Amino acid sequence: MPSRGQPNAGPSRRDFLRYVAVGAGAVGAGAVISGCAGGAVRKAPIPSGPPQYGGRLRVGIVGGSSKDTLDAHAAVTHPDQARIFQLYDTLLRFNSDYQIEPSLAESVESDPQALTWTIRLREGIEFHNGKTLAAEDVIHTLRRIADPADPKNGAVGLSSLDLNAMQALDARTVRLTLNRPDVTLPDQFAEYANGIVPVGYDPNRPVGCGPFAFDSFEPGQQSLFTKNHNYWRNGEPYVDEVVIIDFPDDTARINALLGGQVDAIDQVPLGLLRVLDADPNLRLLESQTGSWVPFTMRVDRPPFDDVRVRQAFRLVVDREQMIKQVLGGHGTVGNDIYSPADPVYNSGLPQRGRDVAKARQLLREAGKENLTVELVTSPVAAGVVEAAQVFAQQAVDAGITVNIRRVDSGEFFGDMYLSWDFAQDYWFTRNFLAQAGSGSLPDAPYNETHWNHPEFNDLVYQARATTDLARRKELVARAQQIEWESGGYIIWGFPNQLDAHSVRVVGLERDKSGVPLNSYGFRHAWLAK
Amino acid sequence: MTRLLVKRILLGVVILWAVSVVVFLATQALPGDAARAILGREATPERLAALRAQLHLDEPMWVQYFSWLGNIFRLDLGTSYANGMPVTQLLSSRLNNSVVLMLCATVISVPLSILVGTYSALRRDKAFDHTTSVISLVLASLPEFVVGIVLVLIFSTGALSLLPAVYVMTGSGSAWSDPTQLVLPTVTMVFAVSPYIVRIMRATMIEVLESEYVQQARLKGLPERTVILRHALPNSIGPVAQVIALQLAWLAGGVVIVEFLFRFPGIGFALVDAVNNRDLPVVQTLTLAIAAVYIVVNLLADVVSLAANPKVRSAAR
Repeated sequence: MPSRGQPNAGPSRRDFLRYVAVGAGAVGAGAVISGCAGGAVRKAPIPSGPPQYGGRLRVGIVGGSSKDTLDAHAAVTHPDQARIFQLYDTLLRFNSDYQIEPSLAESVESDPQALTWTIRLREGIEFHNGKTLAAEDVIHTLRRIADPADPKNGAVGLSSLDLNAMQALDARTVRLTLNRPDVTLPDQFAEYANGIVPVGYDPNRPVGCGPFAFDSFEPGQQSLFTKNHNYWRNGEPYVDEVVIIDFPDDTARINALLGGQVDAIDQVPLGLLRVLDADPNLRLLESQTGSWVPFTMRVDRPPFDDVRVRQAFRLVVDREQMIKQVLGGHGTVGNDIYSPADPVYNSGLPQRGRDVAKARQLLREAGKENLTVELVTSPVAAGVVEAAQVFAQQAVDAGITVNIRRVDSGEFFGDMYLSWDFAQDYWFTRNFLAQAGSGSLPDAPYNETHWNHPEFNDLVYQARATTDLARRKELVARAQQIEWESGGYIIWGFPNQLDAHSVRVVGLERDKSGVPLNSYGFRHAWLAK
Repeated sequence: MTRLLVKRILLGVVILWAVSVVVFLATQALPGDAARAILGREATPERLAALRAQLHLDEPMWVQYFSWLGNIFRLDLGTSYANGMPVTQLLSSRLNNSVVLMLCATVISVPLSILVGTYSALRRDKAFDHTTSVISLVLASLPEFVVGIVLVLIFSTGALSLLPAVYVMTGSGSAWSDPTQLVLPTVTMVFAVSPYIVRIMRATMIEVLESEYVQQARLKGLPERTVILRHALPNSIGPVAQVIALQLAWLAGGVVIVEFLFRFPGIGFALVDAVNNRDLPVVQTLTLAIAAVYIVVNLLADVVSLAANPKVRSAAR
């Protein structure tokens, strides 16, 4: 891989994102893991040589429904996300190592206070309708996402934006002035939910700068996209057409791959890994990620308002056993803090392990011996319900009785969502500050644990305003230590992303983001004849 | 006869109205509402409020119901909560697809069942009869999704890669565009409805073959083919017609599971999706359509049996 610029820099170097020329999608020849143990099946060889052009890539995506949308800023289902990655590009992007890279913007710079930001657009980029990308489009896009009357998915992340203080300095330069310092702005610009759309954008006839242009769309069924011949990355995309097919049912999705009706699928159910492994013409694409499926304890209500109870629960978990039983070994152990892919992640904290005696002692001190709790679970992500069951078994050893209450996802995300005393949730890979803004601050929209720790809040606010990376790392390290000592999350592991494709499909790489199929990066993919 | 028909049609309308009330209340009783279902995890309070106002979900329950009912009388089925399309537009292609599937299943299963049932009756207690009766018993007792999964295992993902395992549209959007994709769903439906028709056909045929007029025809020395085609079959079709009608009505509802299994874009698939989305206008339309099929088919079956009954016929004159 080519070397990459530092994603962040101190006040001494104002230019904090350098454009680095990235070669046309590296061929992911090494991006394949041989699946489960055993590997007795002789897999067909990976096609080699230069990428071949042409063909139609058919992809089966989990979920989807008649509520599907093509709107760049309102994706809800997995197929929605998959379509967004084809139609639209963002100012910056996360590469497969979850490092921020320039995309439509050749640079994004801030002043030392992280208050004034300058976006410089790449030259000569065209939308699918032939319009040249200009500063006005970026301003229009940001205004559309953050519109207070109709906020889109990315609105929360862009809350530091002052909508009245956006100006186009020239055709390719945008100047933003924030209402509070915010070093997470590049993270937001790289989020797929913030794709750039032109002035006059109409989601029913969607136009973007992405590698594929819109052709047809049937909500809940399938959509077709055709190659954007004017795509700004040299040589990409390789295939002529991408078909995205919705599969609400797991069995149907696997059957379609086994039967050759689709070339790739996302989210392989763990139970079906062996089936795929036994087929010489299919390959598993497995990526370590920073996605997490935590248990959430409300820190403001009994029994979890007592920090000793939270610590006891964290000590009861046998993390290795969780990974083995829930994820079939396809995951990495977590240490009750999130964002392991972030350069400022505090890796210096001791790894918490299982200590039943200590847990019992803590519960005794808290006067909560023989505690009975209700755990609300729902199949909202792979492994969530299984994790609840395994946890309930593990907790018995410390005298804790866990009554599992399984609800459907409609009820889970219903009126009680974010109010359950003890439940679960799921998150994709994010950097620490962006994640804290979504789930760990008093004004965060998804603060499941009702975590509101004055010192922690203060550290995060300071870090958000600190452009010096070394200093920011110190602040975040302390904030994560507070969470590690007394937070309301049990983060037992980071599940791997498991996708699968036919051996004909070349070029999809491992990806840390947790977004399936190399962040639905079909522009990298080519089909061997 | 006419009075009876009018009474039955009125009763049908009342039943449909009752179904609409029950479905409305059941959908309301599901946890969460359409706005939550549509926004999923992106449901911040601001966005929920905006969407609820847009869909009129903030109005009282009875207002929602009666505004829907009022629209029905104007022949307006409303618009889908989930994607804002008119329900008629959203469902017309799905309805066509399902009708195609049901027609295929009907056209194959009815003649086939009559043939097999008749032949079994003629070969009573011989090997063919025993085999048929075992197979039809097994198929009748297996849920259709089990039958479907086994078929997929055999014909597409397991031993043989002969047929597509799921239905994937190939562009034109019509169910006919790639007939091979229709094979497995159709066969599953055929296996679901045929056993009953075969068994009733066999039983009726045996009864008819033992009747006096068939004996009489044989004594007259008519060839066996004539006896069966001219005397036995026409007299046994009557009772079988009612069973066939009920099986076809079942198809309208049973199609839900088969469609979901094969990812077939018909009304069943749409119904599962609409329930998940709490998409009331779509759920109402589909359940009412399925209920209407049941009512109409039952009515037709009754009319046929009444018309076949000489007492009623003469009384009506």
